[in-house]
Formats: sequence, C-alpha cells, structure tokens
Amino acid sequence: MSNTRKEARKAGRPPVRIDQNHGLQKPSLLIGWHTQDIGKLTSKVLNFLIDTFEGQEVGEIEPLRFFSFGGVRFKEDLVQFQESKFWALKRHNLLIFKSDEPEFEYYSFLNTLLEVAEHHFQIEELYTLSGTLSLIAHTSPRRILTVYNRRELKRRLEGYGLEPMTWKGPPAISSYLLWVAKKRGIQGVSLWPEIPFYLASREDPEAIRMVLSFFNQRFRLGLELSWLEREKKEQEEKILDLRRENREIDDYLCRLEKGLPLDEEEQVKLAREIDEHLGKRG
Amino acid sequence: MTVRLYHRPDLQHPILFVGWPGIGNIGMIAVSTLKEILQARELGEIDPLHFFYPRKVVIEDGILVDLEFPASRFYYQRVGEKDVLFFIGEEQPSEGGRMYARGEKAYQMANFVLDVASEFGCHRIYTSGACVSPIHHQMKPRVCAVATSSEVLQEVKRYSNTIVMSELGERREGEGVITGLNGLLLGVAKSRGMEGACLMGEIPDWLSGAAFPYPKASRSVLEVFAQILGIEMDLHLLDESERQIEEIVESFYAKFPKEMKEEYDQRKTILQSRPGTITIQAQIYIDEQYKKGSEEGGEAPS
Repeated sequence: MSNTRKEARKAGRPPVRIDQNHGLQKPSLLIGWHTQDIGKLTSKVLNFLIDTFEGQEVGEIEPLRFFSFGGVRFKEDLVQFQESKFWALKRHNLLIFKSDEPEFEYYSFLNTLLEVAEHHFQIEELYTLSGTLSLIAHTSPRRILTVYNRRELKRRLEGYGLEPMTWKGPPAISSYLLWVAKKRGIQGVSLWPEIPFYLASREDPEAIRMVLSFFNQRFRLGLELSWLEREKKEQEEKILDLRRENREIDDYLCRLEKGLPLDEEEQVKLAREIDEHLGKRG
Repeated sequence: MTVRLYHRPDLQHPILFVGWPGIGNIGMIAVSTLKEILQARELGEIDPLHFFYPRKVVIEDGILVDLEFPASRFYYQRVGEKDVLFFIGEEQPSEGGRMYARGEKAYQMANFVLDVASEFGCHRIYTSGACVSPIHHQMKPRVCAVATSSEVLQEVKRYSNTIVMSELGERREGEGVITGLNGLLLGVAKSRGMEGACLMGEIPDWLSGAAFPYPKASRSVLEVFAQILGIEMDLHLLDESERQIEEIVESFYAKFPKEMKEEYDQRKTILQSRPGTITIQAQIYIDEQYKKGSEEGGEAPS
C-alpha cells in the first residue's frame, strides 16, 4: 500500500488507499452503487464478475467527509457499512468501483473517484450501472437505456443493441458522474436496464443477464450465462403460479403485457403481491 | 470554490439586498421582484459545484447535454444617488436534504456573499424572510425587523407598516431564531463589522407549511425596500400571483367550520392574539399536495 493517505491528509484531500501493484493497463472502469440497488442488479453483476475472475481489492476512498455515520444499516440481518472500493480483474483488464452513494460533498467525492481512476489506474473509459424502474411486464422485451457523455463513444457502441435515453429531470448520481467525467475528458456511458417495477426489491435475472451479456460481448469475457436463463425461467414459473391463483394479478400483468397502464393502487397491489409471493417461495 | 465576477462596476457604498428561499418564499420573491423592477444587471455568481447537488439533467437521444445547478447570483444597479447590490440564491446550501442551510457550507456561503459586498465597499445589508404570526390572511401583513445594532433598529422602525420583533404578540423580549441563511448572513455580517437588518413579512401561522408562495407578504417587504431606497415602486408585477394565491387561501378558509371561522376571524380585531388550537385545526384544510415535506424553519412564534 502506498502512503497516499498521509499525502492526501497533508494536502487536505480526501484520503484514499491504493495498491500500486494492481497490474492493470489502461483498464475500463465499471461503477455500481449499493444505494437503491433496484432488482439487485448492481450487486449481482459486479459481485459475479469479481467472484468469477478472482477480483482483487486494490483501493478505497475512505468514507470520512462523505457519509453521516448516524448509525449503521443492516440488511438480511447483516450489518452494512459504507464502503467505496476498487477491485481489479487483471485477466480482463477491468477495474470495478463499488460504493454507496455519498451523502455529502458529492462533487468532491466524484472528483476523488475520477482522480484515482485517471491518475492511479489510467482508465480509458467508464461504465456506470443502475436499474431503472419501468411499467413493463417481466415477460415483455427489455431494453438497456443508455446515456453517453461523448458522441464518439455512442458511435462506438452502436451494434450492441443499446437504446439511447431521452430525459429531463432530477439527475441520478451516475449522470452527475458522467458530467464530471466529461469535464475531465474521460468518456463514459451509463447503462440503465429496464426492470419491471414489481421486481424492484427482488432479483431480476433478465436485467442481470442482459447487462452481463453486454459486458461479455464488449470485453470478450467468455462468460457462461445459462444459469441466468434458468433463474429467469424459475422466476417466471413462480409468477405464473401466482397468476393462476390470483385472477386480479393475472389481469394486471396481462394489461402490462399489452402495454396498457395500471393506476397507482393497482401498481401497489401488484408489487406487494409479487414481492410477497417471491419471498414466500424464494 | 470560486466567485466569478463578470464586471467591476464603480459602486459607491452600495446597499446589498439578499434573498434565499424560505417559508412562503417571501424574501426571495421580494428581492427578485426588486431586482426585476430596477432592471438590475448581472454582476457575477458563486460557483455552485461545492455547494449543491444538480437539480436537473438534460439527456437527448442518449447524449448528456447539460446539468443544471441552483444559481447563486449577484446583480447591481444605480437608483438615483444610491448604488444597489443584489444577491439571490435559488437554494440554500444544505446537507442531508434539509431546506435551510446550516453548518460549514452555510458559513462559507455567507462569507462569499459578504466578500463580494466588502469588495464593493458595502456596509449595509438587508436580508428578508417570513415571520410566522397569528395574523388573519385578509389583513395586510406587517414587516417584522431584527437588526445588527440599535441604530439600525431605530432607523428601520421609522418605516411604515414595520415593527420590531419585541412588538409582535408574545415576543415581548424580542427573542427568537431566524433559521437558515437569511438569518446567518446577518450574524456573520455583524461579526465582520457590517450593519444590516432582516425584514420579515408576516404569514398566517396556518399557511406556514404550505408549499405555495405568499406574495402578499412580499409586497409588504417591497414597500419597505422602496422606503429604504427613497423611491416610488409600481408593484403590479405581483398582482397576478397574489390574486391566484388569494383564491387558494380563500377556498381553504371557506371550508372552515362555522365556530372555527368565528374564532379565527377574531384575529382581525385582536391583532396579536396567541395562536391557539385553531392553527392546528385549520391546517387540516390544506390539501396534502400543498404541504411541504421538509422541516419547519424561518421565524415562528414559540
């Protein structure tokens, strides 16, 4: 480990810890946020890549200044603590950054992340990853919506079946990151796979498969993803059981499959029923 | 972290008017309207990156076109023999989703504003905000003042429709807190040897949680601004928004039960009554969609 932390403290910069022997050469950076991990997409995709390719932890941005420390979260009975860590997948020259979204000093946090990515790892381009809730059925065709900070990158990624997004409104942290990256001359893209709203708190194997397929193609990872097809089928069968038992739910899903809307009450009911059903038998 | 100034006008001891959002947006509307009426010119801005999360992203056909941040801008204008500076902040720098600024960033923002004011030789600052009080909505809101010195207080008391805090109802001791930057700025100014006052337009207590603005109180504040500057001001810019809000408020009032209305209407005659249960009862008539989800703040009777 370097003495980067001491230097940073002296210079008044946020402390970071970097392993100089990361073995990467101009890698691509994949970024995912733990916060609001819709369809468990980010954690599943990035953890799968880290596990499969024996990723090594190669750096960290220390949480001080960026988080409130007002207590500790727990999830599935396990205590969680804010972390912002870099992982190296040497075999495929990929760098992964997994983090909670900062609560304070967003601009400083994003700049620190890019500073490390640029100067310590010399990244070529970055990919952010988040699910976007959609009023579609799980059986409907899915899209990966995309936002680029450079037209050249958009042109280069034509042919991967990605769908350009159009949106005006409050920005997610990934959009903020792309904007800061653009200012620093780093090209990047945000991947926003559609996730049916009623799978928000459950795993969505189809969205996970789509993103991993994209990375598989893009970085020639040679991943075998049939297990996700099986998971998808299992989930579809469970939901099919519920549709057989509950005509109202079947009606809601039929309407979504036909592209018809549901009102707020119907959406809440569908989400609750499916969540309970998948939880019960999952 | 920077302040960018586009011009270096030669200003002679300018007066600074400052507005940030708050209850009923009373202060911000007053200062923005004054800036509009006087056709003030843009002077510069405080770089938002250190202070704010962006409020809007524009994505077109997959390309991130723009990211918009809340603006914190300075303006200037000469009015007769007086030079005037304006600072309007579209948002208070806050951490953890609060509406009102606090902590290190609030202090930094206050100092940035005062640095610019000092650079141009400004010694007098007016901030503005809301004074939550047991006033009837059909009455003309008064302007309640707090100042950095007794000299400024005496001066402010001479303006019509203006009272000092100790003259307001239960506040015989003139004690209280002005939450957020409309208050903090004056404190920092005082510590830097600058003088000023916070001019707060009255808003009925039961409307203080509503998400809509209260231009009627902004008008009262503007009338005091006009006296400070020694000018006549045509405030027709506020007519339409005032009429629209009046309609909404009257529609709530129309739904008050008879006894509550009678009790509430006593406010017209007993001016500085203590706010009682009527406040809570009346608030249930504010539709949920009009209510702010954020913390309370501003100046409110304790």
